[in-house]
Amino acid sequence: MRLKLKLKTVFILYFTVSLLGLIYALMQLGQRCDCTEHDLAKDRTISRLREKLHSLLEQTKKAEPTKPLKPPLPTIYVITPTYARLVQKAELTRLSHTFLLVPQLHWIVVEDSPHRTGLVSEFLSHSGLAFTHLHVATPHERKLQEGDPSWLKPRGAEQRNEGLRWLRENIRSQEGGVIYFADDDNTYSLQLFEEMRWTQRVSVWPVGLVGGMRYERPIVEQGHVVRFHTGWRPSRPFPLDMAGFAVSLRLVLANPEARFDGDAPMGFLESSFLQSLVTMEELEPKADLCTKVLVWHTRTEKPKMKREEAMQKQGLGSDPAVEV
Amino acid sequence: MPKRRDILAIVLIVLPWTLLITVWHQSAIAPLLAIRKGKREGRREAGQGADSKEYCSSDKDIVEVVRTEYVYTRPPPWSDVLPTIHVVTPTYSRPVQKAELTRLANTFLHVPNLHWILVEDAQRRTPLVSRLLRETGLNYTHLNVETPRNYKLRGDARDPRIPRGTMQRNLALRWLRETFSPNSTQPGIVYFADDDNTYSLELFEEMRSTRKVSVWPVAFVGGLRYESPKVNAAGKVYGWKTVFDPHRPFAIDMAGFAVNLRLILFKPQAYFKLRGVKGGYQESSLLRELVTLNDLEPKAANCTKILVWHTRTEKPVLVNEGKKGFTDPNVEI
Repeated sequence: MRLKLKLKTVFILYFTVSLLGLIYALMQLGQRCDCTEHDLAKDRTISRLREKLHSLLEQTKKAEPTKPLKPPLPTIYVITPTYARLVQKAELTRLSHTFLLVPQLHWIVVEDSPHRTGLVSEFLSHSGLAFTHLHVATPHERKLQEGDPSWLKPRGAEQRNEGLRWLRENIRSQEGGVIYFADDDNTYSLQLFEEMRWTQRVSVWPVGLVGGMRYERPIVEQGHVVRFHTGWRPSRPFPLDMAGFAVSLRLVLANPEARFDGDAPMGFLESSFLQSLVTMEELEPKADLCTKVLVWHTRTEKPKMKREEAMQKQGLGSDPAVEV
Repeated sequence: MPKRRDILAIVLIVLPWTLLITVWHQSAIAPLLAIRKGKREGRREAGQGADSKEYCSSDKDIVEVVRTEYVYTRPPPWSDVLPTIHVVTPTYSRPVQKAELTRLANTFLHVPNLHWILVEDAQRRTPLVSRLLRETGLNYTHLNVETPRNYKLRGDARDPRIPRGTMQRNLALRWLRETFSPNSTQPGIVYFADDDNTYSLELFEEMRSTRKVSVWPVAFVGGLRYESPKVNAAGKVYGWKTVFDPHRPFAIDMAGFAVNLRLILFKPQAYFKLRGVKGGYQESSLLRELVTLNDLEPKAANCTKILVWHTRTEKPVLVNEGKKGFTDPNVEI
């Protein structure tokens, strides 16, 4: 009798333990389990390899390519002349945000200055872009003086030529690529860069908000540029804006004398460069046969500094150590 | 001859154990399946089922590799832990509108967990803006409200007594209050970003940690290189380093502060004042209902770094269009 009782309690105990265990397991089913327990060796190696890949990508991004790998996409070399003024850092900042989204882009920034400035150097090193930092000072007689209207003298010619010189000395033609002259106050859509990437000689497209009009554009008939739709001096050889064309690297390297003429009359800067490279018939129309506007010739207002100047006269100007 | 009782006992013992074993077996297989699925699909949908801690860092790699193949890139993958930044941008039709919105979108494409609330000053949502927003791939909300003509600025006349964009910003605030409940745990920050300013990427990371209202310097406002809050040694804002009316309750530009979403929801009566607001007092009209000077959180290295510039875009001179318009109006600029 006693034995029977013992067995019964044992069974009951056993049963309750099992039941509790079952309930526990069912509860666990609903929860997110700690997967590291079930990590197989394979998964661990995969995650380790992924980490390594990540660090390698970081390294290649930072390291200067001594032996440039053949990229799948042609590189777009963007030459931007820039000069020190209040809005410079702001302009370069928002420009860099656009360029960061374009694959295989190399930014060549050329300062109008006798030496590299700290502002631009620091900015470029933190931008995350592949860049080349150059500088050349515009000779005094060619420079715009205070109070001159912006259209009086062509700007940026020396700086763009310096960018071309660097390319001619440092990039081999087999690598392919396209050169684009991007001013630091314009606005560029991402699609523009994909349109220009496969330029064979010189490609062209419309530019918005330029020439006193909503846009200027080449007129295309049967896939070729026949004339230009512009409101100002359409008789120029190439009545385009600097932002309205791109040149293939190969063409520039094949024509070592092609450069911008800083003494050219107003509006002829682009023509002075393109004349020696291509004829109108050879131009490649992009942006849906030049019917879409993918770049705008925006200009930024000069910020009003009357109060700042007044304060500085009193010796109470804002802290110049704070970089603007 | 086994007794019925014995059979019952044996069944009662065996049954739970078999169930236990099968269930345990099942739960062992399920996470492994989730891991495998995560490898293939977890690329764009981060943090779904399985613990994707180890995959979060790799997600970024994979997205970057994919990026080179697309013409239009995508914003960074949405994170479950970062507070959302709701950027309120009033906008209106003018020749530079598409350009401004394009380069603004190019900046926003770098900011994770950004929700762009674009409010048009128009009777109807324009196709230009709708198309632009769709093509960027950003997370957005497209609203519109037309400012009644007697409040609108006429042409270029800059009458400082009529603040521009007020109705649009208020509409966005109302939308936020209708969409999010104060009890929800979704953290968010509200920032008023005009479409012609320039924003650094660092700014958005600074404002993400806002608890109530955070402030920082803004360049090119108030006729100075920059305006900034005055911060004392204890890290508290005690004044404003401006020349134009530094005695305003909040002598700060619209681009110089951000508000925690919770604060917006807890004070549903706080709006920008529409009428009778003196020039430069618009920001104060909202902030004084939300917070006191003491509660302000200074960012940007205790308000010593410039992370946002109040740039203004020149109005393009369209003289050559003439009266009838020289260019094809169907071409969108």
